[in-house]
Amino acid sequence: MPLNLELEKIKDELGDKATDKFLELLLKGMEGVFSASKNKIVSAFTDKFKDYHKNIEGFKGRYLFRTSDNLVAASAIFENGDMDVREDAIDDWNVRITFKNAAALRDFLFSQDQDILNSILANTVEVDGNLNYIYKFGFLARDLKKRLGLE
Amino acid sequence: MAKITIGDLSLKDFKLTQRVSNLKDVYFKAMPEVCIERPRLVTKFSLGNGLLKKERISVLDKAKTYRYVLENRAPIVWHKRSYQKGMLPFEFKDNSLFAGSTTSKFKGVPLYPEFLALTLWPELWTITNRARNPFYLGKEDAEELNYEIFPHWMENNILELARKTYRPPEMKLLERLVFFLASKPNCISHTIPDFSKAINKGLRAIIDEAKEKGNKTSDALQKEFYAAMPEVLEGIITYSKSIAKKAKEMADNEADPNIKKELLDIAEINNRVPELPARNFREGLTTIWICWTAIHLENPNVGLSLGRLDQILYDLYRKDIDNKIITIEQAIELISCLWLKIGDHVPTIPDAGEQLFGGTGSNQAITIGGVDKNGKDAVNDLTYVMLRATELMKLRDPNLNARYYHGISSNEYLRRLCEVNVNTGATPAIHNDKAVIHALTKKGDSLEYARDYGVIGCVEPNSNGRHYGSTASILLNLTSALELTLYNGKHRHTGMDLLISKETGNPITFSAFDEFKNAFEEQARFLIDKSTTLNNILGRIHQNFYPTPVLSALFEGPMDKGKDIIQGGAVINSSAATIIGLADVADSLSAIQKVVFEEKSCSFEKLLDAVNKNFEGYEALQKRLMNPDKTPKYGNEHPLADANVKWIVQMLDRAFGEKESYRGGHYRVGYWTMTNHAGFGRLMKALPSGRKARENFTSGITPVSAVTPVLTKSLNSVATQPPECLSNGVALNLKYTPETGDREKMLDNFAASVKGYVDYGNGNGTGGMEIQFNVTTHDTFVDAVKHPEKYPELLVRVSGYTAYFKDLNPQMQKEIIDRTEYLLSKGSYVYYEPFQL
Repeated sequence: MPLNLELEKIKDELGDKATDKFLELLLKGMEGVFSASKNKIVSAFTDKFKDYHKNIEGFKGRYLFRTSDNLVAASAIFENGDMDVREDAIDDWNVRITFKNAAALRDFLFSQDQDILNSILANTVEVDGNLNYIYKFGFLARDLKKRLGLE
Repeated sequence: MAKITIGDLSLKDFKLTQRVSNLKDVYFKAMPEVCIERPRLVTKFSLGNGLLKKERISVLDKAKTYRYVLENRAPIVWHKRSYQKGMLPFEFKDNSLFAGSTTSKFKGVPLYPEFLALTLWPELWTITNRARNPFYLGKEDAEELNYEIFPHWMENNILELARKTYRPPEMKLLERLVFFLASKPNCISHTIPDFSKAINKGLRAIIDEAKEKGNKTSDALQKEFYAAMPEVLEGIITYSKSIAKKAKEMADNEADPNIKKELLDIAEINNRVPELPARNFREGLTTIWICWTAIHLENPNVGLSLGRLDQILYDLYRKDIDNKIITIEQAIELISCLWLKIGDHVPTIPDAGEQLFGGTGSNQAITIGGVDKNGKDAVNDLTYVMLRATELMKLRDPNLNARYYHGISSNEYLRRLCEVNVNTGATPAIHNDKAVIHALTKKGDSLEYARDYGVIGCVEPNSNGRHYGSTASILLNLTSALELTLYNGKHRHTGMDLLISKETGNPITFSAFDEFKNAFEEQARFLIDKSTTLNNILGRIHQNFYPTPVLSALFEGPMDKGKDIIQGGAVINSSAATIIGLADVADSLSAIQKVVFEEKSCSFEKLLDAVNKNFEGYEALQKRLMNPDKTPKYGNEHPLADANVKWIVQMLDRAFGEKESYRGGHYRVGYWTMTNHAGFGRLMKALPSGRKARENFTSGITPVSAVTPVLTKSLNSVATQPPECLSNGVALNLKYTPETGDREKMLDNFAASVKGYVDYGNGNGTGGMEIQFNVTTHDTFVDAVKHPEKYPELLVRVSGYTAYFKDLNPQMQKEIIDRTEYLLSKGSYVYYEPFQL
C-alpha cells in the first residue's frame, strides 16, 4: 500500500474508531515513515518526516504486541537504524504488550489525558518486560501523530 | 534569656515587604519549566566514566558524579525570565535574599533519569500543553532528552535494574497498581537531614573529619566512604563560591547602589558559607539553602524535609536580634524569601500520575515548637516569626507542622496555631507531642531522641537528622486486602479467573465473624509480605547502584559508622508503610459483623451480591449500611466500630513490625494518604460498608465523611487508637466552617477541640496523635471548582501535605468538598448534598 494511503488510514484509526487493523497500520506506517525519512527524494518534497529515523539510530529493541486471546500478534524489531515489522510473535522480546482490543491499545499509546498507567489501571493493557521500551515506543507513536498533524 | 520576648505573638503589625510581595506575585504567575541541566550533566559524567556499564556503582563514583554536577551547573544569582499561563514568556526582577536554585529555572521541574524521568518520554511534545498541571518544555530541550539523554538510561533506572537483577514476582503486583505502591523506584527521600553540623561547624570541618577518619581506618569500604565525603562537600562549597563570584561580577556592573550592595552581600555570604560556620541568622539560612539544593541533585524531592528549623536556627536568630543586627521584620522577610526558594521546584509527575498524586508539591515539611530533648517547652520567638511568615505567604511548600505538648506548651501558643489555621485555611498541622513521643519510644527510640522528632513529608515523625525512616516506602491499599478476602484470593480489578494471593475460604461459608477476620488478616499479611519483600529488593538496588553521599554527609550517623545512609549508616534505621482505606475497611468489617453475623438481617451471600451489583437493586440495604444509627461507623464512639479499627491498626503494626528492613530496623506503620485515597477510590468497586464503586476512600485515619455528626465523638474515636501502633504518623483531616460572627469565640472553640483531642482521657492516656484542618466555606470550594482562576492561592490540606485547590484533580476536589464539615459553635456537622462532578 502506498505510504500516503497508509498514513491516511492511520489518521482514521486515530480518530473516532480503532479497528482490528490499528496495530498493523500503525507498525507498517511507522516502518514506512522511518524509511521515507531516510529517503533523499522524499525529503526533497516534504520535511514532514525529517529526522524521524534519527529516533532509532543506534537503538536496538524488540517488541511483541498481542491480544489477550492470543489471536493477533505482531512484532517490531529495531536494529541498525531500521524497523522491521513481522506478523508473528518473537520470543526474545524486550517488552511484551498484551491488549484487550484495538481501542485499548490506541488509548494506551495516544490518549492525551490518559497514558500507560491509566490503561493498566483500567486493566485493558498489560506490559511485561522493560517498561522503558514502551515509553520510547510511546514517544515514537506520538511523534508520528504530531508529524501527521494530529497532535 | 527568655525564649519568648515578643509581646504580640501574632506579630500582626508585620506585613510582607515589597520585595517578598513582588517575588510572591511572580511565584504564582510562573508556570513550572522542565530543567534538563541535571540529567545532561549526570548523563555526560556517567558516560564519560563508564558508570552505566558497571555492575556496582560505589559511593565514591556517585560522589564524583555529584561533584561534577555541582561544579558545572550554572550559578544563578537571580532569575530573569519565566513562563506564564498560556506558556508565554515574561521577564521580571528577582531580588531574593538567597541566591542559587534547585534547577536552572525560576520554578523548575528537575529530572532524574536514574529514577522515573523516562515516564515523561511519551509526553515530550505534549507536556507543555497538557490539560492539568502543564510543564513548559522547549523544543531543543525535548530533543536533547529524546536523542541524547533518555536512551542511555533505558537499562539503568532503578525499576529496570531491580526487574532484571531479581525478576521479583512482587513487581507484577506493583504494576497492577491496586495493591500497593512503592516509592523507591522514584527516590529514597522522605527524611530529614542534619543541618546543625553544617551551620555550626561548616562543611570544611566535616571534610577534615572525613579525611582524618579515612586515614585511620583500614576497612576498604569505609575508606571509600570517607573519600566520598570530601568529594561532595567540596562540590557544594564550589557551587556556593561560584554563586559568590557571579554576584560579585554582577555587582561590579551594577549602577544602582542599593542593588550593588545586595549583590555584594550575597557575594560575601556565599563566599563564606556553607564552607565555614555561619556567624549570623542569614548565613545560617544560606547554609541550609545551599545544602538543600545539593541534596536535591541526588534524590527527587518527595518529602525531603527540613526539620526543626526554629530550634536549629534559634541561637543565631537570638544573637542577631539581641545585637540589633536584624529586626523582626527582616527576620520575617528572610524566612519568607527562604519559603519561596524552597518551593522553587515541583515534582515530575506524568499525566496519569496526576490521578494518584495530582496537585502535590514536594511535601517539604518544617517542624516548629514542641519540647526539647529534656522535655522542656521549646517554643521560642523564632517559632512565632515562622508562623507569621507562613500566615503571610500561604504557600503549598513548605508544609508547616507544629508540635504541641499539652500541659507544657502554652495556651497562647495553641491559640496562635489555631489562628494561623483560620487565616491560611489549612496550615499548620498540629502534632501531639505526648502521643508521638510515646509511639517512638515504644519502637525503641531513646526518650531524648524521641523528644527531638521532626515531621517528614506529610506527618511522619522521625528523630531529627539522625533517623532514616524512609517513611513512604510502601503505600498499601488496605481495601485490596478486603477484596481478596471477599473473593477468596481473587480481585475484581484483576479478573475473577486469576488467583492473586491464596484461598482463605469463601466467606459465604463462614459461620462466625472471627473466621472472616482471620481470613482478612491472612490476606493483609500476604500484601505486607509482598510489598516489604519488593521494598527490600529495591533497597538493595539502591545500595548497589545509587548510594547517597550528599545526604550521608549531612546526616548524623554515617560519619561515625563509615557508611552511607542507604547501607544503614543513620543512627536509627527503619522502613515504613502508610495505609490507604482504614476507615472504609473498618466500617466494612463492622457492617459484616453487625448485619451478617450478629443481627443476621442479611446473609453474606446477599451482601456480596449487593456489593457485586454496586447496590443496584439493593438501595435499602445500602442506605441502612451507610446509616450510623443502624450500622456501627467509626467516628461515633461506637464500641464495636472503634474496636474494629483498633484491631486493624494493632494487627498491621504487628505484621509490619515483624518484617525487617534491608538496612536493619523494622517496618513501621502510619495512616496518611496524600491524594491516594481519591486515586485508589476511583479504581475500586463497591464495599460492604455501603460505599459505592469509584467513590473516594477516606483520607488518613479520618472517619468516613458524613457519617459522624458529632465532632467530639469523632475526635474521641480517633484519639482512642493506640499511638504505639501509629508510629509512622497519622493524618486526621477535619473541616471547620469559618465563623465570621464572633472570631474570638471561634478561636476558643477551635483550641478547645484540639485540647480535647490531644488530652483525651484527661491525662490518663496519650490522646490523638495529629490533627489538621481545612477552614474554608463549602461555597468557596464549590465556586473554586467552577472558577479556579479566581482562587490561585486557595490552600487546602489534602491528607498530610498542603496543596493549591485548583491543582487537584476533580476527584480529589470532590473529596475535600464532601468531607464532614463541623460548625464549632455547635459542635455538630453541617449537612451538604454530595458534590456532583
